[in-house]
Amino acid sequence: MNNIKYIILALCVISVWGCKPEEFGPIGAEDNILKEMQGTWGLTKVTQVDQDATTKGFPYKQLDITNVYAYKDLSIALQGDASGAPTSFTITPGNSPKISDFNTGNWVVDNAKAPTIITLKNGNMTSDLTLGSYAGLKSGKFYLRKIKKANGKIVVSYIYEFTKK
Amino acid sequence: MKKLILSIIFTFSVAFAFAQVTFSPATFTAEDEVTITLDVTGTPMAGQDDVYLWMFSNDGVGGGKDALTNGQWGNSSDAARMTKIATNKFTFKFTGTTLFGQSPAELINFGFLGKSKDGSKQTQDFKPFKFDPLVFSPSQFRIFPGKLDATDMSTVYFHQDQATEQNVQRMFDVKVTLTFYNDAGAVVGTKTGLVAIKESTTVYSYSFIPDRVITIPAGTKLNKFTYQFTGSIKDANGGNIPTSAPVNEVVYTVFN
Repeated sequence: MNNIKYIILALCVISVWGCKPEEFGPIGAEDNILKEMQGTWGLTKVTQVDQDATTKGFPYKQLDITNVYAYKDLSIALQGDASGAPTSFTITPGNSPKISDFNTGNWVVDNAKAPTIITLKNGNMTSDLTLGSYAGLKSGKFYLRKIKKANGKIVVSYIYEFTKK
Repeated sequence: MKKLILSIIFTFSVAFAFAQVTFSPATFTAEDEVTITLDVTGTPMAGQDDVYLWMFSNDGVGGGKDALTNGQWGNSSDAARMTKIATNKFTFKFTGTTLFGQSPAELINFGFLGKSKDGSKQTQDFKPFKFDPLVFSPSQFRIFPGKLDATDMSTVYFHQDQATEQNVQRMFDVKVTLTFYNDAGAVVGTKTGLVAIKESTTVYSYSFIPDRVITIPAGTKLNKFTYQFTGSIKDANGGNIPTSAPVNEVVYTVFN
């Protein structure tokens, strides 16, 4: 009878021991999004979105404006240090309409592992751009979105598609 | 007589020059809650502690109603009383559909004035203020995007199948005239004869960014622009006669 008690006690201890959380290693190598973003990217498509029309379900929600002006002239070079941390950027606009109020400076992200906002900085001036899906980065595509708000509501946005040079 | 007329105009302009109206949010539909801020400085209501709103819908477009909160002209309802936030400054919160008892589709614009409870004093009318549509209505002219500022790409459209005037329905060789205005309402620049793109048999468009169309002097802020589609029609002998569609005005939105 005593043996049974010990066996039950041992089973309980083993069960509790077995409930420890296990750490699973990454499946494949961890992506370094910031490193993948670095390099020179050429602007290949610009889409203007009427966010108000989208919200209300109106027709005419977006417009491809790539060929209205020489948007494809523009390229952006994002530099980083050896560890992959963002450093400087240079926009070469050519004859394209501007996508930022300044063409050189530094860039930072809101989250190094999963960035969603890229901030371009030059002195006191800043320009926030939202990063699109990471899925295209491996195939050389990268999307930035510029939004314009009125009273906290997004009214107009621009989706810039870049292709790695 | 001339002096008398001028002095009357001057008196009225001084009396009404300082009244200011702002809305929060700046743009709204008939289903949004809106706060009106009214500054009655320089109006007959200046210095009053109590200001009541007298509101009305669809001014000049038919189907208008008085606000359900108005009460009688000689005895405004307490629900129409504004909240005093500072000397001569008052606010009032409302939702269009609730205030007028009309559907979003029925409500196009509204106006109002500030008054004393007994109606012995009042401001001038402030009107018309448009509700943003909740339902899309096709029209012969449209702008994309619906709200934009002077740095945005603007595309103006002419839907010829929606035209009501015969000459406009028959217009060909369609071009666009753009005129840009500053904050003071003065013309900053005009560009005529811009060739419209024929998107389909009945739709023409023209896309532009203002500083690519005109030279904007440093320090000048554009406040609005007008666009007009022009073209030709055939006369009885087959000759071309110039014709033009009505002028449309677009006021730039202030993004923040």
